[in-house]
Formats: sequence, structure tokens, C-alpha cells
Amino acid sequence: MSEKIYALLLRLFPSRFRKEYGEESLQLFRDRARDERGFTPCLRLWFDLLADLAISVPREYFYAEPDLVAASGQRLGATPSFYFMGDESPRPGALLLGAVLSLTALVTFSTLLSQGAVRKPRNASARQLRQAAPPAHPARQVASDRNSLATGGEETLASAFDQADSGSTMQAAPNESSTAVAAPVGHGNVDAAERQRVLNAAVANLKQHYVYPDTGQKIVEALLAKEKRGEYDAITDGDAFAHQLTSQMRDVSHDRHLELVYSQDTLPPQPIETEQTAEELARHREAMKRINCAFEKVEIVPPNIGYLKLNFFSDRSVCEQTASAAMVSLNHADALIVDLRDNRGGMPNMVRLMASYFFDHPEYLYNPRENTTEQSWTHSPVPGNNLADKPVYVLTSSRTFSGAEQFCYNLKMLKRATLVGETTGGAAHSGVWYRIDDHFGMGIPETKPINPYATPDWAGTGVEPDVRVNASDALETAVKLAQAKLQKK
Amino acid sequence: MPKRKLDPLPSAAFQILLSLAEEDLHGYAIMRQVAEQTGGRMRLGPGTLYSSIQSLLEEKYIEELEPRDDAELGQERRRYYRLTAAGRKLARSEADRLAGFLRVARSRKILRGDYV
Repeated sequence: MSEKIYALLLRLFPSRFRKEYGEESLQLFRDRARDERGFTPCLRLWFDLLADLAISVPREYFYAEPDLVAASGQRLGATPSFYFMGDESPRPGALLLGAVLSLTALVTFSTLLSQGAVRKPRNASARQLRQAAPPAHPARQVASDRNSLATGGEETLASAFDQADSGSTMQAAPNESSTAVAAPVGHGNVDAAERQRVLNAAVANLKQHYVYPDTGQKIVEALLAKEKRGEYDAITDGDAFAHQLTSQMRDVSHDRHLELVYSQDTLPPQPIETEQTAEELARHREAMKRINCAFEKVEIVPPNIGYLKLNFFSDRSVCEQTASAAMVSLNHADALIVDLRDNRGGMPNMVRLMASYFFDHPEYLYNPRENTTEQSWTHSPVPGNNLADKPVYVLTSSRTFSGAEQFCYNLKMLKRATLVGETTGGAAHSGVWYRIDDHFGMGIPETKPINPYATPDWAGTGVEPDVRVNASDALETAVKLAQAKLQKK
Repeated sequence: MPKRKLDPLPSAAFQILLSLAEEDLHGYAIMRQVAEQTGGRMRLGPGTLYSSIQSLLEEKYIEELEPRDDAELGQERRRYYRLTAAGRKLARSEADRLAGFLRVARSRKILRGDYV
């Protein structure tokens, strides 16, 4: 066996050497192998052989090389010639280079493939939906509808979320009712014509859609007056223009859900109202099932604290069973930690369902996007539920958005939970989205929600935590707080 | 095949010349003899051994004999090598050269002793 290996290694030598001394080399190997038995001598033998190869092979080629060069050089003067080297083994240098190149190619291709796979939408319908609803976009904050408090962004859930968004997309105004103008703006610069166009569209939309017509009229008058005074003439930056209009609209209305948005990227077309097909719904259910309805973790931590990590408030009609199973498994906990640090929002009906477990009577949950109806109350008490009087801690981060903020805000206002972590993202998304042109759009509230609390909601500001710690420390802090509270009992 | 450079004489080639000073040997015997005369420090591998032998053959410092068996090692025909007069002369001059280094080393108090 070892002789065969050595015979193979001998092929590294130039053919001339092999022809002359190959048999002798093998003979020498056999002699040594016969005489030097045992582990150590055998090891030494192979060490010698390999060291010998390392030294001799390059030297043999060094001597062989000038021969070839000389041979080809002789003919260079005449016609181009090819020197046939089939008989020669490749040089170690060439082998090494080949190995490095192959490895590089392999790594490059696999990297490119994996990157390509990440960027590619999982299926055609997800792509279509994403085109219909702007993903991870400033305008998205107003673009998402009032029924689904979702902000895109989580790649892993994006497909499912887009489905959730589109499922109830009805907040998007029909195309014909909005004053849309197609006019691209380059590099964030706006000229007088563009300013005029945006202002006219904003005025028209306010008159037509704002939920408080009187206030709407006052805003319009204020904006037109400022325009007359030439206050906008010097603004050439789209973002600055949008900010100024937004703050002026809010100055008059004191409505922080009213906004005008500039986007350097081309805004997607105004979403068209469509009913979700059975097929889409089935796909959405399947996607939700795969991610366990975004219940990432449900467990008991010592001494007996229920820990629930929820990353999305999925639609109740799809995920009610998963939600109640999670809550049942935590039913005998002495305290509960709800981790919303990675929660980007979701459906108000799930926010309500989850909140229902924390009360023994129906409670009003404020939602800036909805008119107050009987749907605004929790379904408390939940039969068999033991958690209504247990301490609740909600973990927050700056990535806690939208529907998750509704959950935080209401539980905080009701003094039902202790918020631990960071100020939340501040995405209320209560306005209806109206696309003005490729770069401007505005969110206009069309509902009259009742906020029973003196503290304004989280639009633009986020929900302040009760105990401020870094998001990464929030769980540890909450566990300590819960333990201390349980010990006092 | 270009001429192998034997100037300066590589130590492997020098040791091979020395090993053949007393008797004709085949490759493996040369290797063992070299190992013995260097106190086990130099164990010639096939590549080094045969490329050195080839160089020495080309320069006619050694010559190749008719293949024959080695009684000790069994029924296998082996190529034997013999030192030529030129080879003996080369070995002697190399030994002199090294002896010159020794004298220098001794005069610089790097090496003690009085032999060689």
C-alpha cells in the first residue's frame, strides 16, 4: 500500500528522471521500508521521503526547464511552434495555482449564489404584493392601512406580512379620488413647478379627505397664505419642503397623524383595492404556520415566570389557535414577560386578543386608525384564564413598531404592564396614503378615534418605557423585577 | 539535460563520493553508508540520492557497473557505482577545502583540538 502511495508521489518527478531512476527509487523505498519497521522508523522514513520530494522535485524541474526553453527558443525565429508537454507531469507550482483558482471560483460562485437567493422574492405572488405595497420605505409608514398596523422590514416575515397587509388593504384610497400627478424629480431637488404641483395636490387632498373639514379648510388657507408670501420659493430640497409642509399642517391642526412625505426613490403606484383571493389566504395561512404565527418563544423561566416572544401580531382568523395555545401553556405562571423587542406590528384584532388575557373585564383599547366601535374593547375575561391579575412586563426596543406600540401604549396607560427597555419606534400610521407624484405623498387621517388618555399617542415619538434600559438588557432586568415582585408577595 | 552544477560540491554529492571510497555500492547501500558516516544526520532520499548520482555520473566522477544482485538483500538486480580517479581527486580537494575551514576555525579559537 505505502509503496503504491510512494509510486504515485514519484509521478511528481519529471518523466526523464522517472524513466532513469524511478525503479531504483522504488527499490530504495522497499529496502528502507523492509529494514525500518516499527512506528517511529516508519514515521521517520516518510518524513525523509516527503522532505526529499520537497527538495528534489523543484530541483529536477529546474534542471529540466532550460532544456525546454532552449528547445522552443531554437524555433522561435522561424514559425510559431508548440512544444508538446503531455509527457511531463504538471509542475507543483502549476498544481498549486490550479488549486487556488478552483478554490476562488468555488467560493465566488457559492457567495454569489447565496446572495442572489436572498434577494430573490420567494414566490411570484410575494413579488407582486411587494410591488403593490412599498416595502421598508419612509412612505410605507403612512402607506400601510389602518387595519393592519404593520411596518415592512423583517425579511424573514416579509412575505407573510405583505400578505397580511394586502389582506385588508382597504385604507388605500382609490386612484381616481386622489390628485395624482406623474412628475419625476431628480436628485432631491424641487423646482417651482414641482412645488406648485405638490402644494396644489396637498390642498386638494386636504379639502377632499381630511376627517375634520373645518380644520382642513384652515390648513389650506394657512398653506396658501404662506405660498403667497413666497415662503416656499427658496426651498429646493424635497425633504425640506415635505418637512416644512408637514410641520405647518400640524401647527394648525395639532394632528400628528397628518403628514407630507418626500421620497428620493420613486414611490410605488397607489395600491389598488382588491379582495384577497382564497389562494392568497391559503398561502398566508401556510406562511404563518411555518413561523408559528410569529410566536418565537413560549417558555417558563425560573422561578415561574412566563416568557413570550412575539414578533408580529398576525391575523386573528389565522392564528387564534396558536395564540391561545401559547397563552394556555403559560396560564399557571406567576408573572408574564411579553417580549416585543422585535415586533414590527400587525393586526389590531390580534393585539386585542393578546391584551384580553390581561384583564378580567373588557377594556377599551385605543387605536389611532380606527373609529371607536364595540370592536375597540378586549374580549376579557377569557374563559379559564389565570393571567388577568398577574404582573406583566413588556420588553420594548426602538424596533418595536406600530401594532406592537398600540399594545404597549394601551397597557401602559391602563397601568396594566411595566414597560422595560427602550422608547418604541413611533409609527402610528394612522393616515390614509395619497400618492401625489413619483416622489411626494401624504398621509391624511380619515377616522376619529377617541384617545381617552391625556398623554398623546406614540405617533412620531414612540412609547416611553417605565424602566429604561438597553433593549439587550431588557429581559434580564424584567426577570429581576419580576423575581423581586414575586418575593414580596 | 544541462550539466548539473557540482561546483561548489553539494554535501550530498561529497558524501556519496566518500561512501564509494572503499568499495563499489548500489543506491541503497550508498544511502546506508552515508547515514553511517554522518552519524545518522544525513539520510539521503531517493530524489536527492539519484539526482546526485546522475550529476556525478555525467561528470564522470563515478561510473555505473553492470547490474547484479546483492546477496544480502535478495534476488533483485541493482545498479552498482564505483568511484573514478577524477571522483577520488574531487573528494580529496573537497576534503582539503573543508580542512582549510577547520584550520581557520581553530585559529579563530572557534574549534579546539589538534587532529586534522
